[in-house]
Amino acid sequence: MVKKYTSMAYAKADDMLFGNAKFPVKAGLGLEIGAGFTTPEINYAPRPQAGKSKDKLIKEYERITTDVMARMVQIGAPSIVLETEHVEQMSNNPEWGGAVAHAQKTIMEEYHDEYGIKCALRHTIGDIREDRDYLQLRGDKYSVFLEAFEECAKSGADMLSVESMGGKEVFDYSILRNDTAGILFGIGVLGSMDMEMIWTDIAKIAKKTGTVAAGDTDCAQANTAMFIAGGLLDKNLAHTTAIVARAISAGRTLCGFESGATGPGKDCGYENTIIKSISGVPIAQEGKSSTCAHSDLMGNVTMQCCDLWSNESVEYHGEFGGTTVQCWSESLAYDCAMMNTSLKLGKGKDLRDILALSDKYRDPQGYVVSYENAYKVGQAIAKDGNNNYLRAKNAAIESCNIVEEGINSGKLRLTRFETNALAKVKADLVALTDDADKFMSESLTKYKQEVAVFRPENYGL
Amino acid sequence: MLDLKLEDIDGILVRYNVALEKEMTPDEAAEELYPKDELIYPIAKSIYEGEEDDVVDGLKAAIAAGKKPIDLINDALMVGMGVVSKLYDDGIIFLPNVMMSADAMLNGIEFCKSQTTEVPEPKGTVVCHVAEGDVHDIGKNIVAALLRAAGYDVTDLGRDVPVDEVIEAVVKEKPIMLTGTALMTTTMYAFKEINDKLLEKGLKLPFACGGGAVNQDFVAQYDLGVYGEEASDAVKIADAILASGNDIEKLRAEFHKH
Repeated sequence: MVKKYTSMAYAKADDMLFGNAKFPVKAGLGLEIGAGFTTPEINYAPRPQAGKSKDKLIKEYERITTDVMARMVQIGAPSIVLETEHVEQMSNNPEWGGAVAHAQKTIMEEYHDEYGIKCALRHTIGDIREDRDYLQLRGDKYSVFLEAFEECAKSGADMLSVESMGGKEVFDYSILRNDTAGILFGIGVLGSMDMEMIWTDIAKIAKKTGTVAAGDTDCAQANTAMFIAGGLLDKNLAHTTAIVARAISAGRTLCGFESGATGPGKDCGYENTIIKSISGVPIAQEGKSSTCAHSDLMGNVTMQCCDLWSNESVEYHGEFGGTTVQCWSESLAYDCAMMNTSLKLGKGKDLRDILALSDKYRDPQGYVVSYENAYKVGQAIAKDGNNNYLRAKNAAIESCNIVEEGINSGKLRLTRFETNALAKVKADLVALTDDADKFMSESLTKYKQEVAVFRPENYGL
Repeated sequence: MLDLKLEDIDGILVRYNVALEKEMTPDEAAEELYPKDELIYPIAKSIYEGEEDDVVDGLKAAIAAGKKPIDLINDALMVGMGVVSKLYDDGIIFLPNVMMSADAMLNGIEFCKSQTTEVPEPKGTVVCHVAEGDVHDIGKNIVAALLRAAGYDVTDLGRDVPVDEVIEAVVKEKPIMLTGTALMTTTMYAFKEINDKLLEKGLKLPFACGGGAVNQDFVAQYDLGVYGEEASDAVKIADAILASGNDIEKLRAEFHKH
């Protein structure tokens, strides 16, 4: 059952704060997320050769899990979440994913029993719904995909997530051609349709297995835009275009929570502050703590309303201070201790504002995800919450308006190129119809012709 | 919400891109680079603007005026794309402009080929693929487009390509270079297998690798590996091979920056 959000979870932006969600989520071994404190969430990738066999993979994840739990106890961290993002072998062979989940949870239970440390295990299933040439969102691949969720849920995973790919074939084509309508169609329409389908089914699995349908992220699309946009001097994509893709992605990611997910949202969803403003679900975030995985221009601002604080992903190997998962989980835990201290002292909102302001004027992306602006994008989505297309378009236009306000204030300084790109994308958006059916019909015609790998049947069209 | 005073922001962050932006607009910079020949100029300009139909119109006019279709590939289309590539390398235009120009150029090449029985002289072939088990192909698509834009023939094997299929393609196409991209740590291990099988067959060619999880240390572990940090490095590596040969150590000396 898909129930669309048409109002905001918070009466005003200032009510939003890290470590506090309107609807906290209980998960795993004694943990409650968004219930007045933040928790580190460590994420990792096995070494390349570990994927050679099921036994090697299990052993690798056992080492990772033991390392993390031991370090958390050594530094006195009260809680920890482990996130295992599946390598393809674990989702294509659901019993592999299940075996890894079981091995990890067994170790976590031992630490929980012995030390009382609160902990939970998130498994993020790989979106394996494709073959060599095309997305294959429905059919046999979808069955294996759902089986992977169920196997992990039954074997020890506490929270279920995915970084789903619906709409990516049109998005990938469009983002490289400054095609605003294609970006909107790929993320806001096709992505939303696929999200509603998969999360309705994932939520059923979570209900059946007593686990948490945690949520999705538009990593496949909005993060692709963010990565292509890169740093200040990179010349691959205007950052003003990237933030419009991000704003559109909020409507798409929200579909997961409208279809039964309850949070915590996935760490790499930089759209998550917008999501939290509308839905009140707890969210994971990453920023300066994920420099081991990628560089972005939002290192601190993303911490402003997080409930889990993540490192995105790090390859497992040795560093001077221990293994990577030990070093990064420790770093995350100290960040959380700082946030939790500010909450206890009644200084949480001051810290939130400091975090947001330290990045707000660094880049248009940080400017829009800064919580008071993210709230405005949330309002633009909720205004037409029942219409996936219209709310995505609203969010896109609102993000343009917000950036324009920033430019006019003199505090957000953009290059002429970024300003021109903003004007172009806004003009494109304003020229689009408000009629979702008309947009769908025109887009189907256009992208069936232009994008060789686009198959409407993937979306039941 | 608390806020910063305008004068305080520079002490917290510096928008170096704003400070360094060139005075000249991209259009003005392009105008300075176009060839002056009145038949070639509109073709080059249409390539820069990414206008496929205008490119074909320009080609038709040039052919009607006596230019040979096969010559127009190098003398007009590649020249126009050269303007685009230079502006991209100089940081004046962005990647989407290059992609749209590449589309227009390739469309133009197809048109020229359809107007003649002559076959254009190839610059060299590059085989591109995404590692087995990996379906993330936007990086490979950018690499392939940039290589084509630079005049290379690209054999694009797609994504999730089995190791043996890559080897077969190298045997068949005899490329000057192979590229591999991967997003995940476990899939990039396939690069090492490809390296070993190529060497077993006595095939020694540069294997340019890059992508999300791929790093220089990993690529340097196998004999043929040359690390490309950016998609545009693929073109630079291919150009270096044409200019100075395919010595892996020399290429590493130039492209391994860390």
